[in-house]
Amino acid sequence: MIDSCSSVSKLLEKYFDQEATDKERLLVKGHLQSCPACQHALTSMEGLRTLIKAPVEEAARLEDFPWIWQKIDREIRSQEKVSWWRSLRSWMDISPLFKKKVWIPAVATIAVLLFISTQVILKKIPSYSETSVVEYIESETYNIMVYESEKTKTTVIWLFDEEDQESSRS
Amino acid sequence: MRRIFITLLLIFTLSLLSASLSYGQVQVRLRVFEASNVGTGIDSSLKDMRDQFKPLVDFSSYRLLKEETPTLNLNQSVSSPAHLGRKIELTLIRQHKNFADVRVKIKREEMDVLNTQVRLSPGRTVSIGGPKHGQGVIIITLSAQF
Repeated sequence: MIDSCSSVSKLLEKYFDQEATDKERLLVKGHLQSCPACQHALTSMEGLRTLIKAPVEEAARLEDFPWIWQKIDREIRSQEKVSWWRSLRSWMDISPLFKKKVWIPAVATIAVLLFISTQVILKKIPSYSETSVVEYIESETYNIMVYESEKTKTTVIWLFDEEDQESSRS
Repeated sequence: MRRIFITLLLIFTLSLLSASLSYGQVQVRLRVFEASNVGTGIDSSLKDMRDQFKPLVDFSSYRLLKEETPTLNLNQSVSSPAHLGRKIELTLIRQHKNFADVRVKIKREEMDVLNTQVRLSPGRTVSIGGPKHGQGVIIITLSAQF
């Protein structure tokens, strides 16, 4: 009896969950008719199921599943928004051009060309020595004399009154 | 490697940007002084002026009246009051790494006493003088700090 009980108790859960084969079910059914201990074990299982099932069903009834799904969907979408820096970095990782690193010599070449062209453009502007220091000069009230010395790097603009010139002539 | 290169690229771009921004301005040194043959006093900041004027007019006294170092921005005028109700107006017209073209106007009652454009280069001094002041003459000296 004890041996029969221990072997049936292994099948009891399968029987309870309706997963037992026809042969197993017949075996368990026959045993239950003559074994109060296994009957008690089965009753306990049913009691436990009722105990768990009732609050779960109640909670499921109260829960708004479409709302929960909306919440989950929103969370997923908010995580999808990555920063511009991360997206840039991911773009750089994805780009096969950057992976191959052919852009390094390309950018270096552009930089060198830019530097050379800047120098050429700047050279086209005449240097100071090619032109006069005084580009133009005019006065409504004075006569003007301009003195330039390259040796001392001095330029003097001298303003004369009419009276000064008269006195210098006399 | 990529991070280093991006950093170098950023530094290069920023240096180009800062160079282009600073390219449109220049600091000038403006000195206004009285030169005469009365006395022998020479202000310490005008000793270089005596050497420059000696071949032209050998004044015995140089007295500093005013010194300023305004920063000129491209096409923006900076004016400064001068002697006897005159006003000096400076405008940066063009800038190159070796020179700066500056328009100089000396005005008296909105009349242009002098209107000129000069090219200031490193070490170059441009002096404007002649009008009488006291027992001597007034001289305005301009130089650029590159």
